[in-house]
Amino acid sequence: MKVVVNADKCEGHGKCEKAAPAVFKLGDDDVSRVLVDDVPESQRGQVDAAIRLCPRQAIAWERP
Amino acid sequence: MTAETALTLADINLNDETLFESGLSHEAFRILRRENPISWTPAEERIKGHWNLVKYEDVLQVSRHPEIFSSERGIVQYEPINPEDATQAANGNGKMLITMDPPRHVKLRRLVNKGFTPRAVAAMEPHIRQITRKLLDGIAAKGECDFVLDVASQLPLAVICGMMGLEDKDWPLMFQLTNKVLGAGDPEYQTDVPEDQRGTDEAARATGNMGTMQMFGFFAQQLMNRKEHRREDLISLLVDSELDGDRLSDEDILWFCFLLILAGNETTRNGISGGLVSLFEHPAERARLQADMSLMPSAVEEILRWVSPVTHMARVALEDTEIRGQRIAQGERVVMWYPAVNRDEDVFPQAQRFDITRTPNDHLAFGIGEHFCLGAGFARLEMRVMFEELFTRFPDIELNGPVERLRSTFIGGIKHLPVRFSPER
Ligand code: HEM
Ligand code: SF4
Repeated sequence: MKVVVNADKCEGHGKCEKAAPAVFKLGDDDVSRVLVDDVPESQRGQVDAAIRLCPRQAIAWERP
Repeated sequence: MTAETALTLADINLNDETLFESGLSHEAFRILRRENPISWTPAEERIKGHWNLVKYEDVLQVSRHPEIFSSERGIVQYEPINPEDATQAANGNGKMLITMDPPRHVKLRRLVNKGFTPRAVAAMEPHIRQITRKLLDGIAAKGECDFVLDVASQLPLAVICGMMGLEDKDWPLMFQLTNKVLGAGDPEYQTDVPEDQRGTDEAARATGNMGTMQMFGFFAQQLMNRKEHRREDLISLLVDSELDGDRLSDEDILWFCFLLILAGNETTRNGISGGLVSLFEHPAERARLQADMSLMPSAVEEILRWVSPVTHMARVALEDTEIRGQRIAQGERVVMWYPAVNRDEDVFPQAQRFDITRTPNDHLAFGIGEHFCLGAGFARLEMRVMFEELFTRFPDIELNGPVERLRSTFIGGIKHLPVRFSPER
């Protein structure tokens, strides 16, 4: 499954990086990047947590 | 149960400002969470009815669906039945960031949000510490002061006025006018109304309107001046900004200034003063913090949860929908009560305990989603720096008289907070 960060909304709060460090990384521009194309099964729970915690509601699973 | 908990479900009226002034609102919310998590406040003579949300999940649902729950008809609980009763501030509905829906909302937000990211905020720490130290210098020899007037109100005022490029001489006016707009219902700020008429709905409207108009007059002057001479400030930035290829109109810019000065001032002030009161009321937690100041970041989060300086934000349903099985009809107003959801027993273990090391602490004091507080980083930083400096310098600071709360259902404010401490010589 693929996860995306909406760069228009993201304001660099970094909650995603804390919740799922293998999936998200904050760039120097204060926008979060997704590090993997396909989120491994084992990390989906962490990504769900990131989606829930993101204050800007900037993260979503990409609908196929 | 304590003596003051004689409150029952039937007595609760969330339109009653004195419920908040007296501090009984927490007990009211506890009863509502348990007995009536979605309650309807019926219309009154001049204002429409509204739904009250007191459960965390319900506020998440509403905040996460701006396409269903609109901010454009105003974000306060009161909606007049008769449009003629609208306040001047209500003219900003649909025109300010905070009262704007997608898709325009995020475009407007992106014009300014680079100045509010964690990185931008962190760069301001030395400056904020310097302001804080100067404020504390001002009270150091006195040994006592009104903590709200002398300290808590002055730091956020200096920070937001600084960002907007306002000169020091205008700061007291900004303090006065933001009090009038957001403290309109409190007789203390109804100074334009004859004394024997204060405390009425009419006096509140007149006070808010006067404050709004004076604010517009002031910022119109500032705007004219920036158009002639750009400076390194937010107003100049807005003058040069474009949205969808167009410059912002003067009116857009003035509403932005209006929002920033209110949101920057009347909230963090109460985070600081409310935080100090919470620590006074929980001496063991205070001692723990003073013994280990590295606990400050989590203490600030717990203060935000506990105090919830913004009491509510409202939305209007754009279509028929449902919350917690309750049907909400198109056009109906829902009010999200932040102090209530921040003590929701289903989300926060031992929710009624003030615990400065609480983790996780995903409170909603700054809202969430589309309208998540733009200034959250500044508010957190100002609170942390203030408490670090305050407790380092005046470790024995204590209450020195009654705490006077604001009469408002919107801002969990403290007007006066007398304190004393060992003076510096
Ligand atoms: C402890 C202090 C503060 C609290 C509790 C607070 C609370 C909030 C809340 C709850 C919202 C959400 C509105 C909604 O969902 O409708 C909000 C929005 C906002 N806040 Fe704050 N705020 C604080 C400090 C500040 C500061 C210091 C600034 C400016 C420097 C600021 C600027 C704003 C702005 C511009 C918005 C509108 C954002 C939007 O609609 O996109 N706030 N605030
Ligand atoms: S939590 Fe949300 S806003 Fe913060 S960096 Fe991650 S995606 Fe961006």
